[in-house]
Amino acid sequence: MTNRKNWGYFLPYGLWLVLFVIAPVALIVYQSFFNLDHQLPLNNYATYFQSGVYLKMTANSIWYALLITLFTGIISYPTAYVLHQLKHRQFWLLLVILPTWINILLKAYAFIGIFSQAGMANNFLRFIGIGPHQLLFTNASFIFVATYIQIPFMILPIYNALDDLNPAYVNASLDLGATRWQTFRRVIFPLTLPGVKAGVQAVFIPSLSLFMLTRLIGGNKVITLGTAIEEHFLTTMNWGMGSTIGVILILAMIIVMQLTNDHDQPGGFPR
Amino acid sequence: MGQPIIELRHVIQRYGDHTILKNINLTLEPGKFYTLLGPSGCGKTTILRTISGFNQVTSGDVLFDGHRINDVPANHRNVNTVFQDYALFPHLTVAENVAFGLTLQKRPKSEITQKVDQTLKLVRLAGYQDRAISALSGGQQQRVAIARAIIMQPRVLLLDEPLSALDAKLRREMQYELRDLQQRLGITFLFVTHDQEEALAMSDEIFVMNNGEVLQSGTPVDIYDEPINHFVADFIGESNILPGKMVADFQVVVNGQQFECSDAGIPTDEPVEVVLRPEDLTLTDLAHAKLTMTIDTQLFRGDYYEIAATDTRGHSWLIHSVNPAEDGETIGISFRPQDLHVMRLHEKEAEFDARLGTYEGTEDADHDQP
Amino acid sequence: MKKLSRAYLILIFIILYVPIIYLIVYSFSAGDTMTNYHGFTWKHYADLFADPRMLAIVANTLLVALLSALIATLIGTLGALSIHRTSKRVTRDVLLNLNNILMVSPDVIIGASFLIFFTTLKLPLGFGSVLLSHIAFEIPIVVLMVLPRLREMRPAMLAAAQDLGATTKELLSRVIIPFIAPGIFTGFFMALTYSLDDFAVTFFVTGNGFSTLSVEIYSRARQGIDLEINALSGVMFLFSLLLVAGYYWLQQRHHRRKNKRQGATL
Repeated sequence: MTNRKNWGYFLPYGLWLVLFVIAPVALIVYQSFFNLDHQLPLNNYATYFQSGVYLKMTANSIWYALLITLFTGIISYPTAYVLHQLKHRQFWLLLVILPTWINILLKAYAFIGIFSQAGMANNFLRFIGIGPHQLLFTNASFIFVATYIQIPFMILPIYNALDDLNPAYVNASLDLGATRWQTFRRVIFPLTLPGVKAGVQAVFIPSLSLFMLTRLIGGNKVITLGTAIEEHFLTTMNWGMGSTIGVILILAMIIVMQLTNDHDQPGGFPR
Repeated sequence: MGQPIIELRHVIQRYGDHTILKNINLTLEPGKFYTLLGPSGCGKTTILRTISGFNQVTSGDVLFDGHRINDVPANHRNVNTVFQDYALFPHLTVAENVAFGLTLQKRPKSEITQKVDQTLKLVRLAGYQDRAISALSGGQQQRVAIARAIIMQPRVLLLDEPLSALDAKLRREMQYELRDLQQRLGITFLFVTHDQEEALAMSDEIFVMNNGEVLQSGTPVDIYDEPINHFVADFIGESNILPGKMVADFQVVVNGQQFECSDAGIPTDEPVEVVLRPEDLTLTDLAHAKLTMTIDTQLFRGDYYEIAATDTRGHSWLIHSVNPAEDGETIGISFRPQDLHVMRLHEKEAEFDARLGTYEGTEDADHDQP
Repeated sequence: MKKLSRAYLILIFIILYVPIIYLIVYSFSAGDTMTNYHGFTWKHYADLFADPRMLAIVANTLLVALLSALIATLIGTLGALSIHRTSKRVTRDVLLNLNNILMVSPDVIIGASFLIFFTTLKLPLGFGSVLLSHIAFEIPIVVLMVLPRLREMRPAMLAAAQDLGATTKELLSRVIIPFIAPGIFTGFFMALTYSLDDFAVTFFVTGNGFSTLSVEIYSRARQGIDLEINALSGVMFLFSLLLVAGYYWLQQRHHRRKNKRQGATL
């Protein structure tokens, strides 16, 4: 088994690494230095940091992503916890995964119907006497739908972390006189924190870039980094500025990864 | 004595400035059961991997039937291994596992089936052909691993701590089976273990190793009765080891008392170590005592009592006795001259054998009379 | 406490499934909007299956998914084998980190950077660029599914095979590939779903003329409610169910076969 003889195996994969991983990243960084007129390096970055519009947009995008991640976490942890105690949990887990198989656009599309003036949500509001309201094309509806879409991606890593937890720790804690709540707070939660971090990773970064939701549900009121990139690339054709925002998004991604990276990650759910 | 089948000559293995094997010389003859015995990290598995072809030695020769095989890869050696934890292929059935080597040789199907059946019968797993590996107990997996290796009809079978994963009862059963299998097949077994009991029970010859050296080789009885040094005495069986001094041939001073012993050829007044096995010590009344001691505590071991005692000079002793003693009681101990074995400090195996040769067979006869 | 937690779980499941059920219910509604159910009809399904453009798009989507998943599985498996064999820790870590870049990057970044890449190379946008992009973002998931199986493979098992006379080639075909087959299978399956699920990357690199289902749904949904999309979602949901069922059936069968053998112990 000499390595030299079999280096050919590596060729297709190596080619992929160079062409589709290294080259695109290099190109987007390179492109980010040029504005529409192909001049002045760093011009785009100057525009980005001097214009209040871009900075405000970035701050907004991060704020929304934080809210979405927070809501997703608050909803998902108890769900994963209760789910993990069920008898047929594999089956229920499958039911959690199943919606992720439905195309994200179909789910967004469903909410166009649900949130419309005569839709189900407004019928419900009318029924309890506080409606109807304009629901579609609001910030709240954007956050709601984004949270809805992300929930399974948060539940899964937390569930896996709970599954990896040796029940002996819980028994030991109870044996030492801890109450259920103390056991949860001092043993279960700290030990499943890696799962939460994996979930945050899986939710936060995509939430910065969900441009189709801002278009379909947010009605262009919410502009995320992703929306801005899409607009610069496909509408105004200002690839330079689009790339600049892309680089900002990549930097944001790296920061989040650094903050949430554990050196021994449990099986997070890859997207 | 036949033509040796495997020989290691001046084998040295270094990793960086770490020397794993320091000048190993050993010879394996056909049809014998050999054991490499030593604590973990002593280099015994490295020797096994050297013979099986998974390890390239730094220097020295590995001979098979008199031919140097240092550069022959593992898949071309007529040697097979039973791996620690078995290394069975989990995606294959029992029969597929056993047939693996023969299938690679593209033997006819009927021949393979017949041989697999025959081999499984040999390891008492007839009828297990279609089972999944995961459906087998530890002992059964062990047998499949053996079957997978012996179906290749190797001249030498290497066994890397194959019994370590089994529970105590099964391990004892397997000792009988392995010994029996080796005798029926008539091929050479080289067995690696850190369990002295296994080694003593099964082997024709044992190589005791420590720190990359073979300290002593010989039959189980030789090694047990005449350990060459403190390490071997301590590692094999239980022992009481005390400092002493040779005063004349067959006379040694221990604990300030002079005793008759069965060793000679050692210069007068040389400091030595003396071994007394716990089972060779007999409890006796104080009048007949060679040594006097106080009982500290005792444990009932089923077929004997293991008694811990302290002598008048403060040395701790271990005594195996069929009869119980009483804690705190002062009792006498006696033993026969031939039970007292003298070891010289830093004596090498060759020197030891040479010294034994000078008086054994003549004086020994007198002293061994009970 | 127990009742409360059950109620909570039921609520979550309702929220998870209401939109999907809502979509499908209205696909059978005789009206034109997703409000006020107008009575049962197959009309929208009939429209869907009579729409040649839609059928062509479905065919495109499936073709891209299958082809890209196959190629990605092949390249990814080779990649996993090479990563696994790298003895230097540093090299392996670098390779793994590079591998994971596309896993963690937001879709928009992947789409935008691929768009720049294809344009720089002057590659026309269309089927080819979409296929290449899908292969590219599926490879890392295949690697990640195969590597754990490779790591589970104990060196002693390979040594045993060599000890019994296996050559390097036989080692690969008789021991390694069969052993990691479940990982390869899962990798293929994941790659397939990634392809079917993708919208953003395809949206960036698709150009004019070529479209996949996601892109088509997006452009139609931007124009408002169209119950043909509901019908489409009904079909896709059924397809997903079949895929999941098929996947679990295959896994179950694998287990059953194992269990049957185990049952033979009695």
